Amino acid sequence: MNLINEKVIETYVKNFTFKQMLILPAILLLLSLSILVYTTITTGAPVELGMEFKGGTAIIFDSAKTPDQLKEEYQKYPGVEVRQYSVGDRKILEFSPMDPSLKDELVNKVKSEFTNVEIRDMGEQFSKSLQRQALRAIVISFVFMAIVIFIIYRTFVPSIAVVISAFADIAFAAAMTDVFGIYLSLGTVAALLMLIGYSVDTDILLTTRLLRRKGDLITKTKDAMVTGLTMTTTALAALVAMFFVSSGLVTSFTRIDIIRDISVVLIFGLIADMINTWMTNVGILRWYIGKTQQAEKRIEKPKKKGQRA
Amino acid sequence: MNEEEPFYHNWRVLLLVFAILGSIAAITVSYSNGQFNIGSNLKYGLDLDGGSWLQVQLQGAVTQIDADPGKIVQIGFSKLLDDPNVKIEEVSAGSVSFMTSKATTQKTIDSFGFGTSTVSSAPDGGTRVKLQTNKYFLIQKYLRDSLNADVKLILGSPGRPPTYEIRKAVTEDSLNDILKPVDGKVLPKTFEERVTPETRDETAKRLADKLNPISFKQITITPIGDNYLLIDLPGVSIEEARKLSLTPGKFEIRIQVKGNETDHVLYGDQIVGVGVPQKEKGDAWGVSFELNDEGAKALRDAAIQYGAVTNPGAHYLSMYLDDKLVFDAPLASDLAKNIQNIPVKNMVATTGAGNVGQEKAKELQLHLRAGALPVHVKEVGSGEVPAPLGQKFKEQVAIAGLIALILVAIVVALRYKQPNIVIPMLSTSFSEVIIILGFAVLFGLQLDLATIAGIIAVIGTGVDHLIIITDEVLAGGALPPDKVYKSRISKAFAIIFAAAATVLVAMLPLILFMDSNALRGFAEITIAGVLIGVFIARPAYAVIIQGMLVEEPDRKFVDED
Repeated sequence: MNLINEKVIETYVKNFTFKQMLILPAILLLLSLSILVYTTITTGAPVELGMEFKGGTAIIFDSAKTPDQLKEEYQKYPGVEVRQYSVGDRKILEFSPMDPSLKDELVNKVKSEFTNVEIRDMGEQFSKSLQRQALRAIVISFVFMAIVIFIIYRTFVPSIAVVISAFADIAFAAAMTDVFGIYLSLGTVAALLMLIGYSVDTDILLTTRLLRRKGDLITKTKDAMVTGLTMTTTALAALVAMFFVSSGLVTSFTRIDIIRDISVVLIFGLIADMINTWMTNVGILRWYIGKTQQAEKRIEKPKKKGQRA
Repeated sequence: MNEEEPFYHNWRVLLLVFAILGSIAAITVSYSNGQFNIGSNLKYGLDLDGGSWLQVQLQGAVTQIDADPGKIVQIGFSKLLDDPNVKIEEVSAGSVSFMTSKATTQKTIDSFGFGTSTVSSAPDGGTRVKLQTNKYFLIQKYLRDSLNADVKLILGSPGRPPTYEIRKAVTEDSLNDILKPVDGKVLPKTFEERVTPETRDETAKRLADKLNPISFKQITITPIGDNYLLIDLPGVSIEEARKLSLTPGKFEIRIQVKGNETDHVLYGDQIVGVGVPQKEKGDAWGVSFELNDEGAKALRDAAIQYGAVTNPGAHYLSMYLDDKLVFDAPLASDLAKNIQNIPVKNMVATTGAGNVGQEKAKELQLHLRAGALPVHVKEVGSGEVPAPLGQKFKEQVAIAGLIALILVAIVVALRYKQPNIVIPMLSTSFSEVIIILGFAVLFGLQLDLATIAGIIAVIGTGVDHLIIITDEVLAGGALPPDKVYKSRISKAFAIIFAAAATVLVAMLPLILFMDSNALRGFAEITIAGVLIGVFIARPAYAVIIQGMLVEEPDRKFVDED
């Protein structure tokens, strides 16, 4: 069994023009951005905010009761919402911010009735300040990454190609959290930042190979793609393992939010990364290399004649 | 390839081996009570060990302020002397002079704590007062009195205005309102809702002093930024954690009525400042403390009501912390006299001479302060993970790591098929995990769910970089001669360094801008992991893989440069 079919890759690299390569990623980017815009219009933020960024109390516990029964029982506490947390008996109760004495009463009630009670609580103001900080962290992280890329390549088109690919990766990952109903949490923020730094790995590999190596463009692209796809596959393998164990979808494993959030965002991001590196970035780079070669030929021709003479 | 030197003599490989052995030692060996012990030194977070955490905000503000010192004195003394006709005559850098319309004494003026005074009588039965004081002190005093809170003056470098630390939750607008009567204002863009790092650390220390005696396990308090503390209470439930950390001890001053009978005077919240133990008159040690207006009035009323002003010896003042007697003494005779005239805010509790007195003074200082932390703390976040659930999380992440390792092994095995590539690759990756764990032990980082996710993610990038090295070296199918090999390795590392740099800068904002300990831990372990990989593990892998591969001398290799 071969992990990567080099023949297929070669055919793809040889037969697709850069315009054809850009169609799919362009559609995906537009789709991702529309989802993000739609969510912004309906909820006020491009991604739905979880408890850590909205404030409130989440209580997770084992109970054989149905979510509806639990909702009925906890009606008197503000903003009560009940969901199945993972397969089996685990349930999650979520509340909007309330005053401390009511919260103490709630905690005591839950603890006296149920077992294995996990509690998370975030103050309203603090979570708002975390929200601002998270937004700032994501923007700054992206800008830092772009600066590093521009320092490394010092030419506009190849650098902007990497930055566009990274942006498309993040947009896709964020849009997918909306589609799959994953709220923005500390875990997803960590993952988005990780994605900013990590998704450019294969782009850097590609750009360095194509610009700094001699040889035939098709072969160089193909080789880079073989290496790059191996890289992304191994990373996906590790992330799938993390998701499998933390998702709460598998009996005998309870859900672990922070690990689930990080792995989901990175998995979507890396899927987008395969498309954006090997279509978007390859497409733009090819067009760029084609253009500069033509320009070079025009300049070099008279020179060569002079040398021969 | 250098024939005389086998790859395992290369310093890069030796460095890796040394780092692995060092890490294993750091993780497993500990030294205590004169003997070495074998066991795990890994520290787990609350989400794996079970317990509660509280993140608290320190209520305070740091800002620069300007105000009119003359107005402060005028308004202050008008109120204190009940004299609407206080007139400011002269304000200079080191003094303020004013006239009152009523007669008053130096003692009265001094007891208000505005500065030392010289007093002379003025025409029309008034008094002319010259206060030795300065603007910065007056502003501090004004804020203290009007906010009923401790205010610290932090002098700036010469020529620059000082900064005030207000140890109470205030907003810029509320401060400006308070300062309006004295023509004062908060200097634009200087107001920050935080406390100084010294105050933050002092609060953390006092909280630790208070919490540690009550807990079975070590409670850790981690500062986050300038105005948050994260309190980890292993093995404690959230209700108890709140009660222990957020309710201050109850400090009370009572006055002796007759025999064993005492009456309440005031609680600790009316003590606004506590000094350090100092030698007072003679050889006696003492601790100064300051009451707010209300407290000073309560003390005066009680002292007059029970006759402590005339017969201090029969009406001791006693101090209780959580209903336990910690100090008692009579009012000093001069204080008793003074109190009869006006409420006194500043006083000293004298504990006696010599080392015994000094020790007592230190203890009393702690007691006086235990009633209130330097600043109030407000809960902003909390959580609890019961121990059995933490144990389950621990098992699950261990399984996740194991499955990740197996899946990665399958992927690289399918791709490379040669054991002499796959085995070094996986061993290098595994050794990175060990070194990261060793690093975590040495630098006191605790393993929680976020950091473990970080480690697994770093392993993913680590394997990626090993793939880059391998493919670069193997371009063309087999091992090239030494010179070509070196040039290829340097190309591989150009890619790796660039890729590592982007991860590092992308993670940095988490440490710099986020007040979340979980995210900080994640970023720290990721950055450490990337650096360990780039500088220790991957260079060694490049050497090892060259040694493991067979050279094919017959092949022609072209250096692409």
